[in-house]
Amino acid sequence: MILSEIRSMRWTDFFLHTLLDPRALYRMISRNEPRCFLLSFTVPAAVAVIDIITLSLLGRETSFFYYKVTYGWILVFLAVSLKIIIAAALMDTASQFFGFKGNMRELIILVNFSLFPDAFILPLVYIFKIFRFAPIFFFILFNMGLSVWSALIAVQGISEMHGAGIGKSVMIYLFPVLLVGTILSLIVILLVICGVGYLTG
Amino acid sequence: MLIPAFTQGNQMDRNRKLMLSILTMLVLTSVIAIVDISINMQYKRPSGISVSGPRIGPGVGIVRVEGAIEMLSSGGAFGMRQGAEAIIDRLNEMEESSSIKAVVVRINSPGGTVAATQEIYQKLWRLRKKNIPLVASLGDVAASGGYYVASACNYIMANFGTITGSIGVIALSPNLKKLFEKLGIGMNVIKSGRYKDILSSFRDMSPEERELIQQMIDSSYRKFLKDVALGRNQNESDIAPIADGRVMSGDVALKYKIIDGLGTFEDAVDKARQMGNLPADSPVYDEAKSSLQQLLFSMQGLFGARNLYRYPAVDYENNYRVEYRWEP
Repeated sequence: MILSEIRSMRWTDFFLHTLLDPRALYRMISRNEPRCFLLSFTVPAAVAVIDIITLSLLGRETSFFYYKVTYGWILVFLAVSLKIIIAAALMDTASQFFGFKGNMRELIILVNFSLFPDAFILPLVYIFKIFRFAPIFFFILFNMGLSVWSALIAVQGISEMHGAGIGKSVMIYLFPVLLVGTILSLIVILLVICGVGYLTG
Repeated sequence: MLIPAFTQGNQMDRNRKLMLSILTMLVLTSVIAIVDISINMQYKRPSGISVSGPRIGPGVGIVRVEGAIEMLSSGGAFGMRQGAEAIIDRLNEMEESSSIKAVVVRINSPGGTVAATQEIYQKLWRLRKKNIPLVASLGDVAASGGYYVASACNYIMANFGTITGSIGVIALSPNLKKLFEKLGIGMNVIKSGRYKDILSSFRDMSPEERELIQQMIDSSYRKFLKDVALGRNQNESDIAPIADGRVMSGDVALKYKIIDGLGTFEDAVDKARQMGNLPADSPVYDEAKSSLQQLLFSMQGLFGARNLYRYPAVDYENNYRVEYRWEP
């Protein structure tokens, strides 16, 4: 069953639509044909490996690299997956706040696939690394560019999911960032107040 | 517009294959990157002998002249230049850099073509005139053109066992006439002048042709001798007795004063620091190639088309080659 699915190559459509037509990607996700929940997690897994390799390529490596590339990526993958699940849960909350129907499972799949452009960081940076032409600068530049691309995929997917406008979709997508940012700011303010109180006391 | 179902299917198949290719490319890139990082780690393993300090501030630049010296301006892997032009590019960088206060020219070469050797010599001479101290460090072999290049430097340091000398010029051309006669092969030659096929492998060389080539050899030899004498601050008459093509080891070369001292590459770097008034821990700016580049260069060396039909003594590629080269 799984082998015939792999041979049919229909699974490649998810990746193709991720890059070319995020709205079509969401339509495929909602049909759940072929099943894609587990498949979607191959993206953060691949991105975890590629991130480790890219950073190692830019730095001065020791034999610890082999541990990173064999076991370390699992830790990174778990962290990224947790981050995705939390972000999807918060996006789902934001969707319901806007009066849309909650759909966390599909959001997780969508956010997973939206990370796919990040996988291109390695070939892009590698070219500049080989020619020794400001690889760190281009790493940062491409990282920013690919993150924007990822965000656009997720936003279009959310827009298709809820039939919402781009503005609301952006708000839903940014809600986790805004919430986490606000919480962190409050924590910092509280810590400062506590610190000042402790020092003056 | 309606598109026939089979056309849509074909398009889909094409897209899927394209996507699969992209995914395969990502996997391959990852594998290559892992291999690259692994090779890099092997190269950068601490060896206990370190000539590279932190790359900040004034220091010693390293230029490497390795293998046969040829112009070879054509692109290597990734279109990167090799040969004399690449060496000159490197020297240009050093000339322009405010960090380079002295240069060590590491030579491991039996020599090469006359023009390429002279270009490197002239470039080094230009640096020398700009008062950038140059130290030549001779490796396994720095003979003929290899020594010619070294003679442009202020100070020449060789190992005890370095093979050097071989001051002279050589032109080689195989005479395959009898072999061709045996095989029944003839060559049709249509030429505009009597010397157009000079050094041809398909016939004997005439005395006039020999004389012409000899004149060219003598002229190149005189230039060699003159430049070595100039570089070494000696008279041509002092060099001439040993400029008969003989090779010699480092210690013999020191005896004949064609080098200034015996020592290793490390010693040459220290000497350069001393001549450049640099502190003992000043940085060394060595040529740094990524391991992938090195791998591709070595692959090019193995599989490069020009190496497939190359025999050390018989070079069919260019019969007109006149070289400052030691041909054992």
